[in-house]
Amino acid sequence: MLGEETKKKLCEIVGEEAYLDSVEDLISYSYDSSVSEAIPDAVLLPAGTDQVSAIMKVANEEGIPVTPRGAGTNLSGGTVPLKGGIVLVLTRMNRLIELNRENRYAIVEAGHTNLSLQNKVKKEGLFYPPDPASWSVSTMGGNVGENAGGPRGVKYGVTRDWILGLTAVLADGRIIKAGGITAKNVTGIDLISLFTGSEGCLGIVTEITVKLLPLPPFQQSLQAYFPQLDGASRTVARIIGEGIVPVALELMDKVVVNMIEDSAHIGLPRDVEGTLLIMVDGEEATCRQQVEIMTTICREEGASAVQVAGSVEEEEKLWLGRRSAFGVMSRKMPTCVLEDCTVPVSNLPAMIKGTVEIGKKYKLTIGVMAHAGDGNTHPMIVTDKRDKEEWERVEKAVSEIFQLAVDLGGTLSGEHGIGISKKQFLPLIMNEDARKLMVEIKSVLDPKGILNPGKFIE
Amino acid sequence: MKEKKSLLSDVTNEHVYHCAKCGLCLDACPVYREMLMESHSPRGKVQLAKHIIEGDTELTEHMHDILFSSCLLCGSCVAACPSGVRQDALFSGLRWRAAERYGLGFAKKLFFQVLARGWLMSTSAWFGKWVRKIFGGPWIESKMKAGNLPIDGIPPMNPKPFNDEFPEIVRPEGTVNAHVLYFHGCATNYVFGDVGKAVVSVLTRMGVQVEIPKKQSCCGLPIFLSGDRKTALACIREVVGMFSRKDVDAIIVDCATCGSALRNEYVHILKELRDLGEGVDDDLVKSAEYLADKTMDVSEFIDAHRDWLPVFRPFDGDKIRVTYHDPCHLVKGQKVGVQPRRLLKLLPAVEFVEMEEADRCCGGGGEYQIEYGDMSARITNRKVENVLKTGAGIVATGCPGCTITIGAHLAKDNVRTVHTVQLIKMAMDESGPGKSPTM
Repeated sequence: MLGEETKKKLCEIVGEEAYLDSVEDLISYSYDSSVSEAIPDAVLLPAGTDQVSAIMKVANEEGIPVTPRGAGTNLSGGTVPLKGGIVLVLTRMNRLIELNRENRYAIVEAGHTNLSLQNKVKKEGLFYPPDPASWSVSTMGGNVGENAGGPRGVKYGVTRDWILGLTAVLADGRIIKAGGITAKNVTGIDLISLFTGSEGCLGIVTEITVKLLPLPPFQQSLQAYFPQLDGASRTVARIIGEGIVPVALELMDKVVVNMIEDSAHIGLPRDVEGTLLIMVDGEEATCRQQVEIMTTICREEGASAVQVAGSVEEEEKLWLGRRSAFGVMSRKMPTCVLEDCTVPVSNLPAMIKGTVEIGKKYKLTIGVMAHAGDGNTHPMIVTDKRDKEEWERVEKAVSEIFQLAVDLGGTLSGEHGIGISKKQFLPLIMNEDARKLMVEIKSVLDPKGILNPGKFIE
Repeated sequence: MKEKKSLLSDVTNEHVYHCAKCGLCLDACPVYREMLMESHSPRGKVQLAKHIIEGDTELTEHMHDILFSSCLLCGSCVAACPSGVRQDALFSGLRWRAAERYGLGFAKKLFFQVLARGWLMSTSAWFGKWVRKIFGGPWIESKMKAGNLPIDGIPPMNPKPFNDEFPEIVRPEGTVNAHVLYFHGCATNYVFGDVGKAVVSVLTRMGVQVEIPKKQSCCGLPIFLSGDRKTALACIREVVGMFSRKDVDAIIVDCATCGSALRNEYVHILKELRDLGEGVDDDLVKSAEYLADKTMDVSEFIDAHRDWLPVFRPFDGDKIRVTYHDPCHLVKGQKVGVQPRRLLKLLPAVEFVEMEEADRCCGGGGEYQIEYGDMSARITNRKVENVLKTGAGIVATGCPGCTITIGAHLAKDNVRTVHTVQLIKMAMDESGPGKSPTM
């Protein structure tokens, strides 16, 4: 609990109704989609940038930790208030400020959800590419904070690639604007990149200007089934090697496919070792040609069947199944540890093979899924955290998976961020001076260390 | 503080551990979408349940309020959950415990006791007077606001209970294709007599012998969901005893909530009470399982036997634009959504249009709209907007609760809300041959 005086000051800013500190509310903001949990002292739901700024002034003066949060769907513990203090929830700041068709950009408040932005721009014939699996609830502010990706990353990259400008509140309450609304902008140091992916440790992003594309005229999805997982991962490396750039190229192994079928009943075959789900978009003729080439590659690599989705509804079902993959893993076992180490795509077969071997070595059930087209693997270890002995094996396996990714020229995270869960592995990939530089940058922006303390910058 | 005895059965407790906290239920939840607060989300309540089960916190009065005020028990989260968590079982279980500890509101208690013993009412007039009062008369206005329901839009009571209007067995003319039991529920009995008449009329003209057991009880689900398990169990025993019969082809239900109770909830509730040692035996569970297998929504039954329908005469006048609202307890609870649409598209005078978010909750949630009027109104407004956007003159649906909520709000816009089966009856009447049975 915060002191009475502090509470009074904060209530004056947001109103009593938007200041929460009942046991039930504090528990409700103690978690995100990762396994970590910590209870805050207060939860605030501000209504605008000015309120965020006023809150930060109070917090900075009094040295109260502040953890910004959207829908809390990140997978690395980024929004868990490790040191207590305030959880600053931006979900109610969810206005679409401007949708500009002529110049193809949109300005939203941080609490605007990704999917509702997708739907609004689609009505205008426009397209916002980043599509994290949690898009129906995850907020644009959260997407920026975590630099979120999604299946479409193969062709369209991650959130950072689509930000033209943003408004951020600094630790002491000052408000800055970075970037603008123009398609090109090389004015000054790229502050957008500084804040994007900073996981709320450097400032609180309250407004975001995103770049939009014309809606692609055509899209097509195909699925291919492989009796050997290896054939599926070789196919991925070959498709990318051929120069085709699919929108999405997803790989799922038997464990994942069976879990999805248990939940979604979309008719995926349960007995094949590897399934690829591929989408292309653009002009119809080009798409059809690409689908043909990919079909041939799949067959050459031993696919037992290749199917092209017949309708948009059919496609949507397939992708809905894929988006629910994290959740479905919890059907049989309570805890699902989902990692997202990423390797150069030519090393994907080795990464997947190695992951399966690590699973065997530690006698764990590991479901292998990957945004394969960009080398972003999602090994999912299903376990029960209450089983201490097994949990130890899980932790060992996770360490080995990260070491393997690094050995293969890869990195710890492709799109989920570092947060709490990958903090201890940072030295594997960043040397001491690089890590120190992050600490130094933070100390300039947040000298008292109140923004999301305890996370990866320490 | 720690809870001394276990509040839920082990099976139900285990559900909290299967929540991956992925958050996909948030968007599915009509209350979260309005409040945008985690404690009002299904994920939030599951995590709160975990803390209560593990003894970090107790079932407080505030938790009681959260369970009742921020949940319509519409089942949208259950349908959306990839991990297979039964949030409904968790929340209704905790509601029961919360109601035991902190009590039900006076109005609610009376409402449910009367629902449960509806068949004891000798004259429906008394019941009607009472229901109008409970649904928004002056008493309710003075005590707990008028709720979300526009009082003028509430339909009047049946002049006499539907059940009294028919003999126990209504036979079709000619060949008998099937023999069904008709569970008409309280709403048809006391308010929507016309729906019941349409069900009997359509089914008999399809060659179906309809048996309408006398003195049938409330399904018990609204009572159960409100947390009053004891009264609910009395209802469940009655219904299972009366309807779990091996000599019929199906048990037909016209109410989404009743259907959901008979098909999904009874077995679940009974097993939970058996496991908690609350005096439920295996035989009762088995009978309930049999009943669950045999129960069908009326639209589902008619659709499955479309070949028994008469050929409709082509219609060349101005068609009526009709849209369809998916009741939560039908589309999420029973996976019935395609069937009513297919039937509506069969009707010659109907121009079917889909509304946006057809499967979003209407915000009614039974007594929810009376006690939590503001929240309910926000959810209902969204539904009303979506209906009006279609330009439809009629909303078809399959739930008396939704009919009351949507109907009351659309009355001023001259949009009528009816049960799908009423439109089928109208089409049959237009097309002749085959008459309604004696009325």
